[in-house]
Amino acid sequence: MQTPSKRMKLSVFQRFYIVAVVAFVLGPFLPLVIQSFAFRWAWPDLLPSTWWLERRTVSPVPLAWDYVLSPYSQVGVATINTLFIGFAATLLCLVICLPAARALARDRFRGKRAFEFLLSMPLIVPEAVIGMALLMIYIRLGLAGSYTGVIIAHLIPTIPYMVRMLTSVYLGLAPDYEEQAAILGAGRVRILLRVTLPMLMPGVVAGALFTFLVSSNVFLLTFFLGQGRIVTLPTLLFSKISGGSLDASAAGIALVASLPGIVLFALSERLVREELFVGGLGR
Amino acid sequence: MTKSRAVAALLAASIGLAGATPIARAADSAASFRQVFLAGAIAWDKVEARAKGEKELNFYYWGGDDTLNVWIDSVVRPAMAERGVKLNPVRIAATKDAVDLVVTELAAGKAEGEGSVDVIWLNGENFFTLSQQDALWGSFAERLPNSKNFVWDPASPLSSPNLRDFGTETKGREVPWSGEQYVCAVNSQYVQAADAPSTFADLKAYLEDNPGKFTYVKPPHYVGNTFVQEAIYAHNPDGNGAEPFQKSVDELGAEELARLIAPGLDYLKSIEPLLATADGDKPRYPEDTAALDSMFLNAEVYFNCKFGIYAVNSGLITGRYPEAAQEFIFPEKLMIKNKNYLAIPLNSPNPASALVFADYMSSVDAQASKLKTVGYPVGIDPMQLSANDRELVKIAAPSHYGVTSEDLDANAVADTNASLVDIIEATWLEYIERGSDKPIADIVADAVGKSAPE
Amino acid sequence: MMQGDRSRLIVILELAPVALVLGGLFGGAVVLAILQSLGFAPWFGINTFPDFSYFARLWGGEAFWVSLGLTLYYAVASTVVALVLALILSLALLKSFTGRRFVKFVYKLPLVIPYAVGIALAILMLGNGGMLSRLAAFANLIDDPSGFPSILKTHYGWGVIAVYVWKQLPFMTLAVAAVLVGIGKRTQEAASLLGAGPLTIFFRVTLPQIAPGVVTAVLICFSFNIGAFEAPFILGGGYPDTLPVIAWRYFNDADYALQLQGMAAVVSIGLLSGCILLAYLWSYRRFERRVGRD
Repeated sequence: MQTPSKRMKLSVFQRFYIVAVVAFVLGPFLPLVIQSFAFRWAWPDLLPSTWWLERRTVSPVPLAWDYVLSPYSQVGVATINTLFIGFAATLLCLVICLPAARALARDRFRGKRAFEFLLSMPLIVPEAVIGMALLMIYIRLGLAGSYTGVIIAHLIPTIPYMVRMLTSVYLGLAPDYEEQAAILGAGRVRILLRVTLPMLMPGVVAGALFTFLVSSNVFLLTFFLGQGRIVTLPTLLFSKISGGSLDASAAGIALVASLPGIVLFALSERLVREELFVGGLGR
Repeated sequence: MTKSRAVAALLAASIGLAGATPIARAADSAASFRQVFLAGAIAWDKVEARAKGEKELNFYYWGGDDTLNVWIDSVVRPAMAERGVKLNPVRIAATKDAVDLVVTELAAGKAEGEGSVDVIWLNGENFFTLSQQDALWGSFAERLPNSKNFVWDPASPLSSPNLRDFGTETKGREVPWSGEQYVCAVNSQYVQAADAPSTFADLKAYLEDNPGKFTYVKPPHYVGNTFVQEAIYAHNPDGNGAEPFQKSVDELGAEELARLIAPGLDYLKSIEPLLATADGDKPRYPEDTAALDSMFLNAEVYFNCKFGIYAVNSGLITGRYPEAAQEFIFPEKLMIKNKNYLAIPLNSPNPASALVFADYMSSVDAQASKLKTVGYPVGIDPMQLSANDRELVKIAAPSHYGVTSEDLDANAVADTNASLVDIIEATWLEYIERGSDKPIADIVADAVGKSAPE
Repeated sequence: MMQGDRSRLIVILELAPVALVLGGLFGGAVVLAILQSLGFAPWFGINTFPDFSYFARLWGGEAFWVSLGLTLYYAVASTVVALVLALILSLALLKSFTGRRFVKFVYKLPLVIPYAVGIALAILMLGNGGMLSRLAAFANLIDDPSGFPSILKTHYGWGVIAVYVWKQLPFMTLAVAAVLVGIGKRTQEAASLLGAGPLTIFFRVTLPQIAPGVVTAVLICFSFNIGAFEAPFILGGGYPDTLPVIAWRYFNDADYALQLQGMAAVVSIGLLSGCILLAYLWSYRRFERRVGRD
C-alpha cells in the first residue's frame, strides 16, 4: 500500500497517551535535578526558596553537589565498584554462557529440558529467597565481603538472559559456515575467531549490554554479600533513602546512579536492534 | 552491614574451623601490652611509638550524618596521620552491627589483637552488651593524658555520666565523646510560642485542636525509644519520674516494670488517632530522623523531637529545617540527657592506635572542632578546663534558637537503664504497632523472659 | 562438526560452568534455605529436622496471611496495570509519527535505571510534601500537606505499585512489541477487510495471538514483584509488611530462632513463585491444546 491510510496515523487518544507516557517516564527527573541543586525546598514551593549556589560560599560544610562530588560521599568509590563489578560479571558471564549456548543450540542431549528449566529458575525465584542462604554459603567459602564473591553472585540473575540471547543467535547461525571453514583447512581457534564470533557479534553485544545493565542495577545480592565493605551505587543510594526522605545530596546520588545505565543505553541504541533484546524473552 | 547474630555464629563456626593462625605471636604481644598499659607501667610516649608501628585504625561509627563524615575525613584523619596513625573510618548503618561483629569474632576465637574493630562510637544497650560479654579492652579512660578533661571523682555529681552509661558502670572502659539531650524543635511559623506544649498533657490538648501535626520516630530506632521513655517518665504512677528506671530489669522485676510503664504506653496509644496519619486512620511513624526531618521541613508536622542540643542550628545551616524552626522546652524537667562514648573492644587489633585516637578525641581541640563543625556538644567537662580552654569551647558552641543552655540544663533528666531499653521497645512494638490486645503485664513478662541471658 | 560428532564430554564441559553457578550456588542456596526452614541448622546448635514448627508458627499467625495477600495484591495490580499500559503503548508505536524514534528511546529508560532511583522519584513526586501535593496547593485544591491524599506509606500501596509500573512498563512493552512484530499485520488487515472494528480486532485477533509470547514476560515481572524488597520497605505501609520485608526483619533480629523463621518466610515466598509457575505451565498446556498446537 502506498497511500497512507487512516489507520497509519495516531488517534487523538494515542497522541495524548504517548505524551503521557513520556511525561510519566521523564517528568519526575525534573524535580530530582532541581532538588539536587536546592538548599531549602519546602512545601509548597514549586521552586527552591534558597538555592545551593547561593549558600555555597557561606556554608561551613559542603552541600549538595559539593558533597556528592567530594570523596566524603563515597560516590566515587561506589561508581568505580559498580562499573568494575559490571564489567567483570559481564565478561565472566559471556565466557561461561557462550559454550552453554552453543550446546543448547546445536545438540540434543538428555536433560536438555531440565537444563533449560534450571536456566529459567533465577527469573522465577526472587533474590530475597536466596540472599541470606547464599551469604551463609559464602561465609563458609570465605567469599563474603569480597569482590570475587559479589561478581559471581551477579552471574545468577544475568545468566538466564545471556544464555537465551546467545542461544537464539546461535540458532540463527547455520553451522555450514563453520563446516566449510573446517573443510578449507582452518583450525578450531581460527574458526572461532574468524567465522563464529563475528557472526555472533550482534547477539554477544546485546547480551553483554543487557548483562551489564542487570548487574549495575542489582541491589539485594550486593547488599547482603558485600557485607557493607563493597559499596555500589544502588546500595549507597538505598542507605540514603531508606527512611523515605530525599535531600539534596541523595538527589545528586540518585542522578549519578542513573548515569551508567543511561550512558550505556544511549551508546547501545546505535549498536543493537530492538528485536535482539527480546531474543530470549519469547517462548 | 547486616550481620544478624545467627549469621555471626556461622562465621564463628567457620573461623574456628580455620584453625590456629600465626597471629598467635601478635596476640601475645597484644596481651602483654594490654597488661602493661592497664597496670599503668608504660609511658605515654611509648604508647605513641607503638601506635606508629601498628596498621590501620578501624573506627566503626554511625555514618548517617553527612557533616560528621566530612569532619572525620577532613579533620580527624589528618590529625591522626600527624600522630603516625592511619585512620580507617568504617561507616555503619547501625551501631549494633559493630557490636555483633565484635561478639562474634570473640566467640570464633579471635582473641586479643586478632579482631577487626578498634574503636566503636556507642552508648546505652550497645555498651551494655559488650560489658556483659566481657568484650571490652579494659579501664583505659583514666590513663589517657587527656583524662584530666573529665571529672572522675564519684563524689561530684558531674562525674555521674562519666562513671555510668545508662546505669551500667563504665569503669573507664569507654571514654565520653559527646553529650546530647533530647530536644524538640517547633516550626514557629505555624505555632505561636505560647501554644507550644510544655507537658504531655499540653501536647494532647494541642493535638486535639490541631490533629495530625505531630509524630515521633518509630521504635526500635533509639530516637523513638527515647520519646517513649520520656512519656513513661511523665506518666510514672508513683510520680517520681526517671528514678525507678535507673534500676536494672533484675532489680525491678517484670511485674513492677509493667506497672510503671503501663500509664505511659496507654497515653501513647490514646494519642495515636491524633498523630500524623497515613492510611486515613493509622498514624504514620517515620522510620528514622531523616524522614521526620523531611516531614518537619514540609510542614507535615510542626514538631521534631530528636537528640540534638544544636539540631536546629545544624538544620538551619544545611537547609534541612524550615527557616522558622526553634527549640522549645518539652517535656518540662524530663528532657533526657546522656553522653555517648568511644569504647575499645577486647580484641582490638591496634590497641595503641586506639588509645592515641581516644586521647586525641578527648582533647580540647578535637572537642571544640567537633562542636563547631558538626554541632555535637562536648563530652569533656568544661569545669576541668583552664579558663582559656573553657573560653575556646564556649566560642565554638553553635547558636541556640529560642532557649538558652541554662534552660536546657534545668530541664535535664537521666536516661533509662540499659537493660530496660529493649523491653520497653518490645512492649511498644507489640502493644502499639501490632495493636495487640494482650495486657501490658503479659507483654512485658514475655519480653523479660526473652531477654534473660542464655 | 556435525551434530552427531560432538562428543558428550564436550557438551558436558560446555554446560559445566553455568551448571555449577546455577546448580551449585543458586541451587545450593535454595536447598540450604529449605533445610534451615525445616530446622536443620547444626551450626546454630539447632537440629530438629524435619521440623515443621517454623512453618506452623509462621502460617499460623494471622499476620502472615495478610502479608501474603498484600504481596500478591501489589504484584498482581502492578503487573496488570503495566501490561495494559504496555499493550496500548506498543500498538501506538507500530504507527509512524514524528518523534517516534525519541519515544522509542525514552520509554526504555526505566529499564536501565536502578530501582532505588525509581523509589527516589516516587518519594519526590508522590509524598505528602511532594511535587503533586505542591501542584495541588498551587491550584488551591489543598492548603495543607495533610490535605493531599496519602499515596505513599499506605497499605493500598499506590507508591509501590507506581514504582513497579514505572520500572516494568518498558520490559512489558518490549515483550509485546517483539511478539507483535512476529505476528505481522496480515490477520488484522484481513479482519479489518471483513468489517471488524478496531476494538474487535484487538480483542478477537491480536490479543489471542500475542498472549503466549507475553506470558513469559508477565511471569517474570510477577515473580520479581513478589520477591521485591526495596520498594515495600521504603514506601510500604509498615506492619504488616510484604513477605520479603518480614523475612528481612526476622533476619535482622538477634534471636536465633527468628533466623530460621526468616528462612521459613523466604521459602514461603519461593513456594508462592513456584505455584505461580506451575499454574502458568498448566494453563499454557491447556491453552496450547485448545488452540491445536503442540
